[in-house]
Amino acid sequence: MRPLEHARLAWRSIRGHKLRSALTTLGVIIGIAAVIAFVTLGASLQAGIVGDISPDDQRNLYGWAAEPETEGGPLAGAQPVVSQDDLEEIEEFDEVSAAYGYATVPTQAVSDGDEQVALGDGLVATGPSYVREGELAEGRSFEAGEREAVLNPAAAEQFEENVTVGDELVVTTVGGGQTTVDVVGITATSEGLSPFEGFEASPRIYVPTDPYYAEGAAGIGFGDGLGGDPGSGSEAEPTDDLRYLAVVVEAQSAEEADVDAARDRAVEYLESEEADASEFVGGGEDLEVTFQTSTELLQQLQDILELLQNFIVGIAAISLLVGSIGIANIMLVSVTERTREIGIMKAVGAQNREVLGLFLAEAVILGVVGAVLGTALGLLAGYLGALYVDLPLVYPLEYVALAILVGILVGVLSGLYPAWRAARTDPIDALRYE
Amino acid sequence: MASSDVAVSLENVHKTYRLAEPVYALDGVSLEVPRGSYTAIMGPSGSGKSTLMNLVGCLDTPTEGVVVVDGRDVTALDGSERTALRGEQVGFVFQTFNLMPRLSALENVALPQLFLGVGRAERRERARELLERVGLGDRTDHLPNELSGGQRQRVALARALVNDPALVLADEPSGNLDTETEADVLDLFAEFHDAGTTMVVVTHERHVAERAERIVHLLDGRIERIEELEGVGEPARPDPASGSRPGSAVEPKGADSDDKTRAEDEHE
Repeated sequence: MRPLEHARLAWRSIRGHKLRSALTTLGVIIGIAAVIAFVTLGASLQAGIVGDISPDDQRNLYGWAAEPETEGGPLAGAQPVVSQDDLEEIEEFDEVSAAYGYATVPTQAVSDGDEQVALGDGLVATGPSYVREGELAEGRSFEAGEREAVLNPAAAEQFEENVTVGDELVVTTVGGGQTTVDVVGITATSEGLSPFEGFEASPRIYVPTDPYYAEGAAGIGFGDGLGGDPGSGSEAEPTDDLRYLAVVVEAQSAEEADVDAARDRAVEYLESEEADASEFVGGGEDLEVTFQTSTELLQQLQDILELLQNFIVGIAAISLLVGSIGIANIMLVSVTERTREIGIMKAVGAQNREVLGLFLAEAVILGVVGAVLGTALGLLAGYLGALYVDLPLVYPLEYVALAILVGILVGVLSGLYPAWRAARTDPIDALRYE
Repeated sequence: MASSDVAVSLENVHKTYRLAEPVYALDGVSLEVPRGSYTAIMGPSGSGKSTLMNLVGCLDTPTEGVVVVDGRDVTALDGSERTALRGEQVGFVFQTFNLMPRLSALENVALPQLFLGVGRAERRERARELLERVGLGDRTDHLPNELSGGQRQRVALARALVNDPALVLADEPSGNLDTETEADVLDLFAEFHDAGTTMVVVTHERHVAERAERIVHLLDGRIERIEELEGVGEPARPDPASGSRPGSAVEPKGADSDDKTRAEDEHE
């Protein structure tokens, strides 16, 4: 008897109990769908994050000070400790190519002429090299001390007439103060340029810390209002006591040795007596400085993601186990119910292995149908999920193959014992069975 | 009688079931079923009819003695070989029809050939032909529950015949049929018997048994007597396979002693 004939007969009996077969398969469908959906989402999430890291970001060290052993992503538990002077000192070191602060300035709105759009926390005050050359689609980066800004496409497109290089914008702070910025560049992507920003795409305007952070942090609002002489309004501000929550130190190159050297030098300095930050960090102080590359930060995130994914996949696997127990159970019922049929088949010449094959085929078909439908459902769910969270869709194809294999395995494992019982049935008893 | 002329032979067959105390279901039975013959086996409940049927049908093996079906010693075969022999050489007809409920009439008839590995097209062709012969040419695609009792039994008969077996073994074939349908089915048995099929019918009804050429009466696991009949309800056969005189109650095989001697001669 050929396998195809087995499958044909098995398919008959499956169709003979449509509802029962459907419910049995449902257990496998849910299990496989859950695994595939979460694996797809996980892979898409990773691709979304990893895909955002440009190679020239690799020499950047992102630093902050926090209580030792604070768990979490970038800036978890960060306290403002690094002063502008500290950064200037660090920048002087041979190992360091640039050092600057990073801060978001709370704002209310941005206007281009008569048109005003709301902007919450999109004003990013940082150093000029933060906007790397490769990231620019148009123009150049801003210069420190100048009232200049680089917009990302999402910010530029907020206005009816897209903002371009050369335009002048008016920024309104939370306090109600207003200041002007000249647009000097547009970035290529709306996604975050560093782990500090997060990776999602949102409207952002990049400006120099001097003067914008100084003014914003002083809590007095920007300058002296519209059309004010750039810089003149902030002259009196106490910049020497300005501390940054987040700092960026750029190493000379992305080489591991260079990055490590820059990191060591920066930490050593911040913990030394000379640094303003040393009142809070190093020695007997409470806080600890952390400098990490985006790859390292990402690794942490990936570890968390992986842990979460394994956890969920584990739960999904349990549902798969329950599904296969369901198949085994229904097959046992089926064997008992069809005892007489088994007797008939044996009476007309069916060998034990053929009876075994028939019931095994039935279980495997249930498993495979469950796996195929589950995979389809899982991919759909993963697709919708990725679409909803706006992630690049990555189909983990090896998992699809794996799912089908698991389906076959589930069928074989759960069908083996019932099929063996069927094969062993004594035809004399079976024919007499009511 | 040459072995090629014998469909089934039993020699001093014992079957003992080891229950709380041993049950001697068959206690020294010897019997020959010649090819092309029509034998009825009668006896009260517990006389060993079912056990005899299971042995002849290669479903079971004797505790003692030899059962030869189509020239092969059943006791010397393993389970799988016995299954193969059964599939090829024995056709079953049951009281309760025992059709596969989810297979059509045609597929039911083709089932034994499926297990023999016959190709699909050939199987269906053969099954259709047999269904036509039992008068169900227009019911091939019906499921068993769409057929009447008589029609189901015809399907079962067609299935029993599909492999051209050495014998058809019918267990109370008309037990679930009304009188009229019973007559139809028994006529069909007679028809196939005339065409050369060896029939063994187990029954407890006299009028069913009387359609056969001889009746083997079982009692308490032994052959009480063998009653030879003039072919009732069918034309007399020019050369009855059994050499003994009709109507005479005889010791099993005893009356065949001449034949037996001849058979032995032919063997040598």
